[in-house]
Amino acid sequence: MFLGSTMFRHRWLPIFLVAPLAVLVFLFFYAPVFQAFYWSFFLERPFGGGSEYVGWDNFARVLSDPEFWKASGRTVLFMATASSLAVLVPLILAIAADRAVRMSLPARNILVWPKGIAGASIGLVFSFVFNPFVGVLAPLNSLFPGIWNPSFDGFDAYISLIVAHVWGNIPFNFVILLAGLRAIPHTIIQAGAMDGAGPWRRILDVQLPLIMPQLFLTLVLEFTESVTSAFALIDTITKGGPGGATTLLVYKIYLDGFSSYDLSGASTQTAILMVFFILVATLQFVLLGRHINYER
Amino acid sequence: MNAVDTAIHVAAKSIRLADVTKAYGKVNVIPSLDIEFRSGEFTVILGPSGCGKSTLLQMIAGLERVTNGKILFGGKEVQDLEPKQRGCAMVFQNYALYPHMTVAENMSYSLKVAGMTKPERQARVKIVAGMLGLGDYLDRKPGQLSGGQRQRVAIGRAIIREPGVLLFDEPLSNLDAQLRHDTRIELADLHRRIGATTVFVTHDQVEAMTLADRILILNKGQVEQFDTPKAIYHRPASVFVAKFIGSPPMNILPAQGDGSVLRLSDGQVVGEYGLKGDFQLGIRPENVVVEQGMSGGLAAPVRFREDLGSHSIISVDIAGTPVRIATPFGGVVPDYTRLAVTFPMKALHLFDGQTGKAIPEGFGVASKDGK
Ligand SMILES: Nc1ncnc2c1ncn2[C@@H]1O[C@H](COP(=O)(O)OP(=O)(O)OP(=O)(O)O)[C@@H](O)[C@H]1O
Ligand SMILES: [Mg+2]
Repeated sequence: MFLGSTMFRHRWLPIFLVAPLAVLVFLFFYAPVFQAFYWSFFLERPFGGGSEYVGWDNFARVLSDPEFWKASGRTVLFMATASSLAVLVPLILAIAADRAVRMSLPARNILVWPKGIAGASIGLVFSFVFNPFVGVLAPLNSLFPGIWNPSFDGFDAYISLIVAHVWGNIPFNFVILLAGLRAIPHTIIQAGAMDGAGPWRRILDVQLPLIMPQLFLTLVLEFTESVTSAFALIDTITKGGPGGATTLLVYKIYLDGFSSYDLSGASTQTAILMVFFILVATLQFVLLGRHINYER
Repeated sequence: MNAVDTAIHVAAKSIRLADVTKAYGKVNVIPSLDIEFRSGEFTVILGPSGCGKSTLLQMIAGLERVTNGKILFGGKEVQDLEPKQRGCAMVFQNYALYPHMTVAENMSYSLKVAGMTKPERQARVKIVAGMLGLGDYLDRKPGQLSGGQRQRVAIGRAIIREPGVLLFDEPLSNLDAQLRHDTRIELADLHRRIGATTVFVTHDQVEAMTLADRILILNKGQVEQFDTPKAIYHRPASVFVAKFIGSPPMNILPAQGDGSVLRLSDGQVVGEYGLKGDFQLGIRPENVVVEQGMSGGLAAPVRFREDLGSHSIISVDIAGTPVRIATPFGGVVPDYTRLAVTFPMKALHLFDGQTGKAIPEGFGVASKDGK
């Protein structure tokens, strides 16, 4: 393209620079995904030693399994609530930060740190935070016994996951959204004020429309991220329980594949999940992408 | 005038700043201002970069708070009111159009916020778009317009509400020379038709001279002079103003009065003068008279000449100070390396040697022409 031809005289240099990442992405993303698609049409033996082509049998089996549909339902619910909260909370913070608090550099850095923490660590920390006996909600339990107990109450467990997820995703989304807000020329906001719009009206009519690209980006990333990153949180906080209440599809795939050794079933569900992601992302681009094209 | 012309009516208000000060933290941007912009008047604020022009405009608009003092619109205190309660409209230097709204939406946003119904808004947009020649662009986004068209949309957005006070912050500085000229003329015409009290900030003295009823010259947040363009040109109140206005600006030379004559720093006599002390002598480039011979008058070795077609600018040294001379239209100045020039007494401006303030008239020298 234009950039390529002006910046890189050497035609192999860009390829060379991209190669390490491309290899990683291929080895650890595309290859397994293709493998999963391939396996979903075979009946695999758990410890190797041959496989048998079974056509759509795996899909028929998975799709008729009520547990699959329950896990899918939980996944969609988690995706909807966790990702919208993980965008909404940072959005509110970013608007607040943009309005009055000219945040200092240290403050900004501190807010970004959680981004550097692995999902499993967040999960571990939150499993303590949410522990009904020693966690932050323990006092609530001593006042109203039994009001908070994620290890018995599926709803509480679900909330724990969502809070942990939102917490871990605030920094990135906050930075993106704040950057978007800061990029709006100050005079446009002033023009809004001159036109008689108060602060709330300006957020609604001017600022939000102008950060649509950033909102769109965070939402797209969140939709997929909320589903995939949930694994580490589930594994450390709830182990899919209580009673399967927090067994999302990613966790079910893991259980089926690595605990029950149903490799074909796990592959099939992975394939279905992939197709679902692709559909969601396409839909987002078609529905949202159309409305956010303008020149600054 | 046709029907369109009369469709925008404003109730112009006077603007008075009473002992207004403005500080950002410890930085005292405006030490104290006490001025009045008369109702319906077109005032241009002129001053060097960073002197507080935008700050002043934003305080009038309500976008910045005054640190101290009062702002009165038509006698009513407004310094604590929000922008929307003040009823000013503003045109920004970078237009500040809403990129996600069409031209029509941009122009009518204030009406929408004010709760006007859609048919009413459309009718108004039609009138204003007609005035500004934007009728064909109503459905475009700002990104699809040229600089001049965007500027018009910004002006349309400002006048559509029929504001009593119109504020412009360097609205033409992003336009090319031709468009600047055209828009300037349109603005003058627009002002004549709608008659809002207008405050217009610019760096450009041509804009100032041609548009203004009165020019306010600011220097470090203080008023250097606030007068008609003519008075500012012909009777500058200080060396600062004298150097700021005119292209090329007025020549300033240090001079001394010994009670009988006025001498330049190298002892050459400029003319008879009755006061003693240090002065700064001002003379406009077009008022310097070049003698026909090479002697008589002040010695002026030529540094270089710039031929501008209609006339030329000759840079010379007089008593060690660079002085520019503008030759009269069509006039021919001999091609000497040394000129002899005289300063006609009636064209001389005299300023205090220390303060730079103009020495009041009546001292014999500084009786100015053109007043
Ligand atoms: N928000 C602010 N905080 C601190 N200082 C400011 C702020 N805004 C302006 N200033 C300072 O106030 C002074 C006046 O600024 P202002 O923008 O009014 O200048 P101006 O005359 O409009 O200049 P220009 O012609 O370059 O636009 C400048 O020295 C500027 O640095
Ligand atoms: Mg300015």
